[in-house]
Amino acid sequence: MPRNVSGFRPLAFLSSKLAIISVMMILLLWLGSAFALDSQGIFLPGETSNGHVLFEASCKSCHEGFKPVSNDTCNRCHEAEMAKDVHGAKKFRDPRWAQLRENIDILTCTACHREHEHMFGRGVNLQPDLCMSCHQGVIEGELASHNDFEADGCWTAGCHNFHDHRSISTGFLRTNLDQPWMLPKPGLPNRVVTTKLDTAPKPDLNQEFLGGKT
Amino acid sequence: MRSTSNQQGYVKGCLTVIIVICLFFSSWVFPDLALADLVSPGQLQKIEQQWQNSAHALAEVNCSSCHQNQETKAFVSKPGEESCKSCHQASVDTFLLGKHGIRTLEGLSPLTPAMAHLPMKDSSLERQMNCNTCHNVHTVNTYEASVDSCLTCHSDNHSLNYKKSPHFDIFQGIGTLPRPNKDAVTCATCHLPREVSGDNILVNHNNTYTLKPRDRMVQEVCMNCHGVEHAYNSIFDNELVEANFARPPNQKLPTFKMVRDLEKKRSSKGN
Repeated sequence: MPRNVSGFRPLAFLSSKLAIISVMMILLLWLGSAFALDSQGIFLPGETSNGHVLFEASCKSCHEGFKPVSNDTCNRCHEAEMAKDVHGAKKFRDPRWAQLRENIDILTCTACHREHEHMFGRGVNLQPDLCMSCHQGVIEGELASHNDFEADGCWTAGCHNFHDHRSISTGFLRTNLDQPWMLPKPGLPNRVVTTKLDTAPKPDLNQEFLGGKT
Repeated sequence: MRSTSNQQGYVKGCLTVIIVICLFFSSWVFPDLALADLVSPGQLQKIEQQWQNSAHALAEVNCSSCHQNQETKAFVSKPGEESCKSCHQASVDTFLLGKHGIRTLEGLSPLTPAMAHLPMKDSSLERQMNCNTCHNVHTVNTYEASVDSCLTCHSDNHSLNYKKSPHFDIFQGIGTLPRPNKDAVTCATCHLPREVSGDNILVNHNNTYTLKPRDRMVQEVCMNCHGVEHAYNSIFDNELVEANFARPPNQKLPTFKMVRDLEKKRSSKGN
């Protein structure tokens, strides 16, 4: 009779200290070897965004221990993209605009770009109508420039960029309006290489490439 | 009897371990003895010829500039990014920030087409991305690197349609070596654009930089030759992008109508 009862207790093995210790040892060994062998993929909490997914196995690229990811982490790679940030520190440290930071913590990259979570496009976690946190007046009469436009279309329609809008700002478009399809002097920057010699010198290594053989 | 066989097993085990360790360290201490790294005299002659006709040779960049450690004078059979970087710093730095180079920057194995999400050619899946993957480091002409190297791996429609595009017609019509001139529009023109930096023209090797947002490419690249409306109407037409701009754009983005209306409003207010 007792035998039959034990057959219906799937967690019975937990009463054995040996079993508990073994399970813990296996877990410890598994996590330990993941660390030791640098296979840190098992620690990923969710899907990694396009681009970052290529180096998601390298936790330390963005994480220093358990400290939160800082702007410096992002700027290690994204400095060029952020060089002319219109929503940057220069603007929002100015007292005229500083109060708007209460709507969105705009000077912290991870306020909008949290990794390993669902993205609504362009690596942004917030809903695409995030511009309305501050710019509601643009679509609702106050500025009258975009009346009746959808609240989530600012960037999803391809018209506005949050960080770098040098080439899509109203000023830029006005300046360049009515250009012909080909500009009068089309041409790319030309790369010209000037060299010191007219004829090539003698190669200064030879046997090394053949491993000493002639 | 049993102890003898145990002893034999022990000795065999030790010998195996010692041999493995010796092999491991010999390849470490004498990396250039590994046969795969050596070239035949015929190959060496061909490489010397390529180099002799290159800009490197005329700029006094000799074999030892890359194949010798400048401090220890030790021979280096396969120089890496660091070697290129000693002269081409901006190119290597930007390469490491794009998708092609980011894994290398982060200390992982280099990117291979097998890891890509875009369609790649089966024959290229195991190629590892480094300078030498796209550039022939001995001829150092960038003609090959500007189109052929890309098409060695990339096989999505946009890439495959390049050779049917007006941009390719220009490229094909304009001579060849040693590098595409200012009128040629190659893959690299748009994806690894030339940038003016002081007195220099540098090539931005961050292949991701002009991809998104698309208006970055408009200003950095398209508007070297095209007007802003033509550029925007083209680059925001997904079908046309896939066709690699094989025809003029059909769409007229409402943005430009809005800017025109704004202009009218402002000038009427001014009056």
